[in-house]
Amino acid sequence: MQASPSATGASPTAFQRRSQLYRRHLDLDAAFADYEGVLAVAAYADPRVERALAERLGLADLSTWPRSGCAGPNAPQWLADAGRQPPNRPNKAVAQEDGGLIARLSEQEFLILQGLEADPGLFAALQGNWPSDAAESVHPLPHADSHCWLALSGALASEALAKLCAVDLSSRSFGLCDVAQTSLARVNAIILRQDLGATPCFHILSDASSAEYLWDALVDAMREFGGAPVGLEALRTLKLRDRPSESFSPTERHPRIQPRKAP
Amino acid sequence: MKLLNCPLNGPRNIAEFTYGGELRPMPDPAATDAQQWAEHLFFPDNGAGIVTEWWCHTATAYWFLAQRNTLTDEVIRTFPPSEVFKQGRKLAGKDGGEKS
Repeated sequence: MQASPSATGASPTAFQRRSQLYRRHLDLDAAFADYEGVLAVAAYADPRVERALAERLGLADLSTWPRSGCAGPNAPQWLADAGRQPPNRPNKAVAQEDGGLIARLSEQEFLILQGLEADPGLFAALQGNWPSDAAESVHPLPHADSHCWLALSGALASEALAKLCAVDLSSRSFGLCDVAQTSLARVNAIILRQDLGATPCFHILSDASSAEYLWDALVDAMREFGGAPVGLEALRTLKLRDRPSESFSPTERHPRIQPRKAP
Repeated sequence: MKLLNCPLNGPRNIAEFTYGGELRPMPDPAATDAQQWAEHLFFPDNGAGIVTEWWCHTATAYWFLAQRNTLTDEVIRTFPPSEVFKQGRKLAGKDGGEKS
């Protein structure tokens, strides 16, 4: 079931939980929306422009979107018992039936991302079932407050990332559901590829304390490709509709972020 | 930039790694005086030739071992610590016994 946004125009300061990047979004006149208790940027500009941007090169902040993780010798079995499909080797991810993603970060550590189109409330069911008995040899690793979560989408996403990351993230060497734990703009990051329909998309989780720095670095790297921030609605539209839209027009750039002029 | 092959993550720039010192057996805590502890902690062997060293992939906080020729700076191989440490180290419990 898809969570529909409500109370569009909600103020982030009215929510106890908000992204570390909310000041950046306010500067861009973002339209926030309440996704059943989760506050996220729905859009910055016209939906048609944002969708075209997301297909070309768009950056979305998903830092408030539900996620979790677990670790321990018994973690793979516990996930399987909970009806999830854990990957069978490190640095791989598996798309779940509910649209989410489970990544294996090491032999005994897993990261769980909620699907963009799913109901955030469904995640609470998993959160409430963590074992309390240490003898089960699995413990939760929440990731919700320790990491920011960005999504870089678009046909040019790997080219923009190549400016900041030494690992080759192009399609020829970094496929669907591949995971790279590496340095991105000199901060540690977990990078996962989960395409949205036919559009490449990279989920990026990094230290929450350097979220503003990483956001600024990515936006700066995207400028030469005409990329700009996009809201959650643009990504969800891509996820739900595989049909590519009309080609991107260079004149339809983001209204508030312009490409850097050559000196 | 130099590359180092992390057993968990594959080849990465050397800037993503932290050196952790030589692999040396830890002295028995119950039969070691302060002088021996100081020598263990602060006086590396610093041998010329092939040595085994601790390295950490910082992005994942993953510690592993590397065999390196200190004369040529060639890394011969990297491998997970489980090849050397088959079991977890047992620590002394509060009751004087031992626990895993």
